[in-house]
Amino acid sequence: MRIDSQKSKIFFKKHSNDIVMVLPAYNESKTIEKVIEKLLVLDLQVIVVDDGSTDDTYKIVKKLLKQSEQLSLYRHLFNRGVGATLKTGIEAALRKNPKVIVTFDADGQHHSKDIYFVSRPIIEGQADIVIGIRDFNVMPFRKSFGNRIMNIITLIFYGHLVKDSQSGFRAFNRKAALLMELHSTGYGVCSEMVGEVFKHDLILTEVPITTIYSDYSLSKGTGTKVGFKILAKLIRDVFK
Amino acid sequence: MMLHLYQYLGILLGVMALIFTLIRFRNGKLSLGMLGLWIGVWLIVILISIFPDVTSTLAIIIGIGRGLDVILIIGLIGCYYLIFRIYNMIENIEEEINLLVRQIALEKGLSSEDQD
Repeated sequence: MRIDSQKSKIFFKKHSNDIVMVLPAYNESKTIEKVIEKLLVLDLQVIVVDDGSTDDTYKIVKKLLKQSEQLSLYRHLFNRGVGATLKTGIEAALRKNPKVIVTFDADGQHHSKDIYFVSRPIIEGQADIVIGIRDFNVMPFRKSFGNRIMNIITLIFYGHLVKDSQSGFRAFNRKAALLMELHSTGYGVCSEMVGEVFKHDLILTEVPITTIYSDYSLSKGTGTKVGFKILAKLIRDVFK
Repeated sequence: MMLHLYQYLGILLGVMALIFTLIRFRNGKLSLGMLGLWIGVWLIVILISIFPDVTSTLAIIIGIGRGLDVILIIGLIGCYYLIFRIYNMIENIEEEINLLVRQIALEKGLSSEDQD
C-alpha cells in the first residue's frame, strides 16, 4: 500500500496534465466542495457539469472557480439525467485534449487515491476504458442487490458480464471517448457504455476501488419514507 | 389446435413488437420501467392470440355482448396507434431538449478566467 502511494505520487506529478476529471453533479451541495478540493490537491483538471440542480451546487462550484484555474463549470438549464450530463462532460473534456478522461461521482463515495488505479492502465496503453469496481460485499444489501440485477440486465442486453456495470468511476482514453455513441439520458448510460466497448472492440479493464459509505450517501436510500419516495418515482418513471 | 389467420397475425404482431421494444431498450431509447410495461402489453397480445377463448370468459364475467366487440377492437387499435405516435413524438422532443440543454451548457462553460 505504501509503495502504491509513493508510486501514485510520482504518477500524478508526471501525468496530472494528461488527466481530466468529469464530475456530473445533481443536488450535491453538501459534498461537492470537499470532492473538488480533493481533486484539485492532486493538480488535476476538473470539469463539473451541474445537471440543473435545485440546491446551491452551481453557486458553490462557481465560487470555487476563483481559487483554481484547473476547474471549469458547465450547467444544464434543466435536469436531463446522468447520461446526458456525462455526455456534456466528456465533450467538454475532449476540448482539453487529455490522454485520460475520468468520470467521478460528486457525492463523495469515491476515493481520490483510486484515480491512480483507474488511469494507469490507460496511460500505459493497456486499456481503452477502465471501470472501477466496487466491492458488493461491503455494500448495503439494497444497493448490492440492485447492482447485481443491473449486471444481469447488462449481460442480457449487451451480451457481456462485467463485475460492476453501474459504477460511476470510470476512465477512458480519447479513442474510447470519441467512439462511444451514447443515447441513454439516465442511469442506463452505464450499461450502454459496456455495450459500446464491445461494439467498437475497445479494451476494457476492471480494477477494484474503495467505496466510502458516509451517512450522507447512505441516507439517500434508507428509511421507509425514502423507500416510498423511490417507489413513487419508479411508478412515475413507468408512465413517463 | 387449429389457429385462425387473425391469431397468426396477432402472434406475428406481438413478436415483432417485442423485438422492436427490446432493440429500442438496447439503443438506450427506452427506460427500464417502460421496457417492463411494453413487454407486458405485447405478451398479453401474444397470449390472447393463442388462447382467444380467454376473452370470451372475460366478456361473460364483465357482461359485454359480442356486438360491441368490433367497435371496441377498432377503437383500441386506434388508441394504441395514437399512444405509440405520441410516445415517439415526446421522445423526439426530449432528445431535442437534451441537445439544446447540452449545447447551451457547452457554450456557456465557465472557468476561472471568466470570473470578474
